[in-house]
Amino acid sequence: MVQLIVTPETALADEPICIRATGLNPFQVVTFTASLTDEKGKLFQSRAFYKANEAGNVALDQAAALGGDYVGVHPMGLFWSLKPVNPFRRLLKQDVMNSPFYIQLDIFDSLLLEDSPKIHPKASQMIERWFSGPGLQRIPVRNGRVRGAFFLPPGEGPFPGVIDLFGGIGGLIEFRASLLASHGFGVLALAYFAYEDLPRSLLEVDLEYFEEAANMLLHHPQIQRSGIGVISVCKGAEIGLAMAIHLEQVAATICINGTNAVHETPCKYRDLVISPIPHQKEYTQIHVSGALNFRRIKGDPRDEVNQQSVLPVEKARGHILFIVGEKDECLNSKAYAEQAMEQLKSHGRSNGTLLSYPGAGHLIEPPYSPLCFASWNPFLSRPFLWGGDIRSHAAAQEHSWREIQKFLRCHLAPSRSKL
Amino acid sequence: RELTLNLSLRIIQIRVTGLLPSQLIMLQASLTDERGELFQSQVFYKADENGEVDLEHAGALGGDYVGIHPMGLFWSMKPKKMLSRLLKRDVINSPFLVHLSVYDITKPFSSSPDSLMASETVERWYSTPGVQRIQLKEGRVRGALFLPPGDGPFPGVIDLFGGIGGLVEFRASLLASHGFATLALAYFAYDDLPKNLDVIDIEYFEEAADILLRHPKVLGPSIGIVSVSRGAQIGMAMATFLKQVAATVCINGVFLAEQVVIKYRNEKFFSFSQHLERLRINELGLLAFYSAVGNPQEEANKHGLLPVERAEGHILFIVGEKDYSVNSKIHAEQVMEQLRRHGKNNATLLSYPGAGHLIEPPYSPLCVASMNPFIPRPVLWGGETIPHAEAQEHSWKEILKPSYSEVLHFSPVSPG
Repeated sequence: MVQLIVTPETALADEPICIRATGLNPFQVVTFTASLTDEKGKLFQSRAFYKANEAGNVALDQAAALGGDYVGVHPMGLFWSLKPVNPFRRLLKQDVMNSPFYIQLDIFDSLLLEDSPKIHPKASQMIERWFSGPGLQRIPVRNGRVRGAFFLPPGEGPFPGVIDLFGGIGGLIEFRASLLASHGFGVLALAYFAYEDLPRSLLEVDLEYFEEAANMLLHHPQIQRSGIGVISVCKGAEIGLAMAIHLEQVAATICINGTNAVHETPCKYRDLVISPIPHQKEYTQIHVSGALNFRRIKGDPRDEVNQQSVLPVEKARGHILFIVGEKDECLNSKAYAEQAMEQLKSHGRSNGTLLSYPGAGHLIEPPYSPLCFASWNPFLSRPFLWGGDIRSHAAAQEHSWREIQKFLRCHLAPSRSKL
Repeated sequence: RELTLNLSLRIIQIRVTGLLPSQLIMLQASLTDERGELFQSQVFYKADENGEVDLEHAGALGGDYVGIHPMGLFWSMKPKKMLSRLLKRDVINSPFLVHLSVYDITKPFSSSPDSLMASETVERWYSTPGVQRIQLKEGRVRGALFLPPGDGPFPGVIDLFGGIGGLVEFRASLLASHGFATLALAYFAYDDLPKNLDVIDIEYFEEAADILLRHPKVLGPSIGIVSVSRGAQIGMAMATFLKQVAATVCINGVFLAEQVVIKYRNEKFFSFSQHLERLRINELGLLAFYSAVGNPQEEANKHGLLPVERAEGHILFIVGEKDYSVNSKIHAEQVMEQLRRHGKNNATLLSYPGAGHLIEPPYSPLCVASMNPFIPRPVLWGGETIPHAEAQEHSWKEILKPSYSEVLHFSPVSPG
């Protein structure tokens, strides 16, 4: 009798699980599939073809996939290679507290390219992937101008405080904040446009808004007083870097695939206004899939005419971790991070670290998140290209998530009383 | 912005005048195919100091291609509905109408309409005036014969497409426009031919070759073949077994009898060399087959190899190195190696980096993936837009090179 054994069946979405099948015929070719229906009813699937060993077993932590969505030994491959059945959809958990992603794992005793109502799996297992750990609290934030959601771990604390910023799609994205909080951080998922009564579109970045959020976080009774961290991606990372420079409340900043200058929207803080480097949309390229590649539309921060837009990263007091995907098709994140590191060095600063991942794309997320290569964007008529090679991107997500937590724990430790 | 009637192979000149110096514009080409599917390309240019954009000299800044590419608007068109393939069905009576437009760009790719400044329509024909199309239904043979205008006689060519089946005529009509009497030959999923391709019986193709050679306007004593994909596998087999074949062009084929038996008279070739468990799905869910067909050098596949050393005519292999459906390079190289081992040097290999599987006549848009009626998921053909376009232009010139028609004229008659 064919059995599909999965342990654990319920886990945090960033935790690996063990999958194996027994009771097969020796050396039989089988198909493993994973299926997930997201909160909008959209189906995501992955499949891989394996050959059972002489005992009729397949253990995904030892066996190599022969083909399908990935090849080689990848125990979590079925998760990070999930693809939308209708292309260009992005998998994004909305409700992070009350429900998990349900993923159905199936094993078929033949090579199956497509689902068929006539062909049934030999064994199935439903598993749960949660974006919040037990005891995690979610507190909606509507405090002064600040809008977002605050995730507090169980217990008394005090916990290191972190602000989580996403990018140019706006709104409020919570899944990374809730996962990070499940690892013992007090995390504020902060919206800054296209959410509730915040501006509809991002016309300027007002750092005083982010300072308000930072102070609010620092003054929470269960948050450490010594300084906060920032984890930020894309446009959020441009803001995160500006925060690191101008806000003394910020002790540790993680910039994922961001820029080292102000682009497109002016950035202001009190009396200071930094004018942006304008986008040059005529350099947009169209990928073979029809998706738009914006990588070349941002002007070069090294050009003489753009100097006033470059962020003075040497003024940042805390530590900065730059995380970069070398196959980022949204922007040339590696070049920007290298320029920032160079700028630190030339000012005799050593508070920056760069982690550069070959093959990783723009949307570097917590481990086992499927690679989103391109997706529909509410502001554009065509899909938007993010880039990335599936396997390298998955490896980058696993590695960087560990580094992110290490970095935050190290630089937000209460013993560090720099600020 | 000139020219109306045009064979789809001809280069047209596009020039925009009357702009402001350094003005940014978007050039767009649109085509609606015979099924009502829209294909479009969009490219951004900057006018020079005279307020002109001449595609002969101006480099595109962005859009569907970058750089100087006078015909880029044509070969970079993409279907609005993903996975559609541009394929002209009626090759005699109607052209493709391509609408060229110039827009002032304010917000490219946003939902607000840009301002249209000028437009022009160009016709792209697949046959020159006077090309005749004759439906062929003789014996077992099914297809369409395209005769050049005039009395002839003309060198004869059989044109074979691949695994989509049916009858694809546009390349045959273009070859006829260049002076070849070309038989677009169907072999499955057409008329009363078998619905599926289980056996490739070379005697069917021999029947077709003989019918072609018997036609009063066809110059004997031999014919040529232009073939792609599954058609190239057949073309290679025809070159191997049939003395009537003097020149064969094989584009991105597999020359091993895998999945399908190849037979000629009392000889059969087959090796079970398909490894579907090696199929790969790419980041957009497209199916890449190239690992699924076995390596022709493997011992296990020797019974599937054709005795290519028997081929007497010349063979031209055209290979796209970014072909994701077939590892065409290793298959072509294996045949070249087999010929060399038998002391023959009647083959040439043209290998194009960046070109995909569907290498077609010049200015055909790159079809990087499409649905195949026999396969449940979209198939990845591969190719990078600019190198693929260049490969199409270069290979077509090579296919038409006078040396090939010379071979057709002067090849000796062999009995049998």
